[in-house]
Amino acid sequence: MRMKGILAALAILALTTPAAAPAVAHEPIFAPGAHVHSKGAHEVSLDYHRERASGAGENETAQELAFEYSYGVTADWTVKAVVPFVDKKSNGNGSSGLGDIRLGTKYRVSRIDRFGSQLSTTLLFQVKLPTGDDDSSPRLGSGSTDFTGGLLHGLESRRWYYNLAARYRLNTEGGGNLDKGDKVFLDIVGGVRPVLTEYRDADTVLFLELNWERAARDSLRGANVTNSGGWEMFLSPGIFWTYRNYAVTSGLQIPVAENLNGAQPTSDYRFKLTGKYAF
Amino acid sequence: MKIFVVRAFFLAVFLIAAVAWSGAVLAASHVYRLYVDGLACPFCAYGVEKNILALDGVEKLDIDMAGSFITVVMETGSVLEEETAKQAVDDSGFTLRRFEAGK
Repeated sequence: MRMKGILAALAILALTTPAAAPAVAHEPIFAPGAHVHSKGAHEVSLDYHRERASGAGENETAQELAFEYSYGVTADWTVKAVVPFVDKKSNGNGSSGLGDIRLGTKYRVSRIDRFGSQLSTTLLFQVKLPTGDDDSSPRLGSGSTDFTGGLLHGLESRRWYYNLAARYRLNTEGGGNLDKGDKVFLDIVGGVRPVLTEYRDADTVLFLELNWERAARDSLRGANVTNSGGWEMFLSPGIFWTYRNYAVTSGLQIPVAENLNGAQPTSDYRFKLTGKYAF
Repeated sequence: MKIFVVRAFFLAVFLIAAVAWSGAVLAASHVYRLYVDGLACPFCAYGVEKNILALDGVEKLDIDMAGSFITVVMETGSVLEEETAKQAVDDSGFTLRRFEAGK
């Protein structure tokens, strides 16, 4: 019954929302990029993500394999859907299955084209649906419907790239009356194409990202959870390799600073590998 | 006899040159060059290839990233209108800066 409701909500969102999320071109690996698809462009991606956190008597590992589809409704508007399958382990317990499905959209509000470069400013909106099991241990989903809004700005040129992103995620109350704290994400990204290539050549761009994220304290039945919230910062080298309409991207988030409240496990690393096909 | 051979030689050269010239003119009439702003990477440019190849009468195209232009070859008898090209480039998320026919 619950699944039927979720599927109905998905269908309604797909039909009525300018929905979907970060979509491609030369996007950074972890931060969303300002670029959007061309009109009528389809893109499918298979995304593998792995992360580990430890400390405060905890040892957590999470893996996610996500199927992503995005589409260019117009030259400035892209919609996207992400269906993740999650495998989590925490202190000897494990669970796996469907995670929280994400729908989103990006709308480019400004585009400045010059010879060999493009400057874009884009709005982002994303919805995370409670499709993952929040009764399992560890939980596969948050059990909440969460909303993310953001402003993205970026330059793509023949040689250099930069990207700035600011996002806010509003988390609603999930399973077990737990309300995860809202989250702020700030990203600064630089990129370079070491070898200038021609259209039918394989092409490589290297990225270096600085990702900062801050969470407010969680709330359980209206009371703040002491060991929750705080901020972490990551330095994230990445690579974006393309050949024609195929792309492979990969990156590693390395924690460089943190200030988490109370006793919490801190991130050890986050790794991402993605294959994309545009058509 | 010698004069006849010389005349025949020059006539043959003239005919060959004429045929070559007319062929070049015919060929040039269905080749277009689109100068596009915003082209930065091959992966992003794939969208413009897709949208231009979808236009009626387009035989093939090539994209020059360094020069930021697209060479479009139309099928014989087909014409690429500037407005059509502009729309296809715009739909791809780029800007048509200059349009040249007969390149």
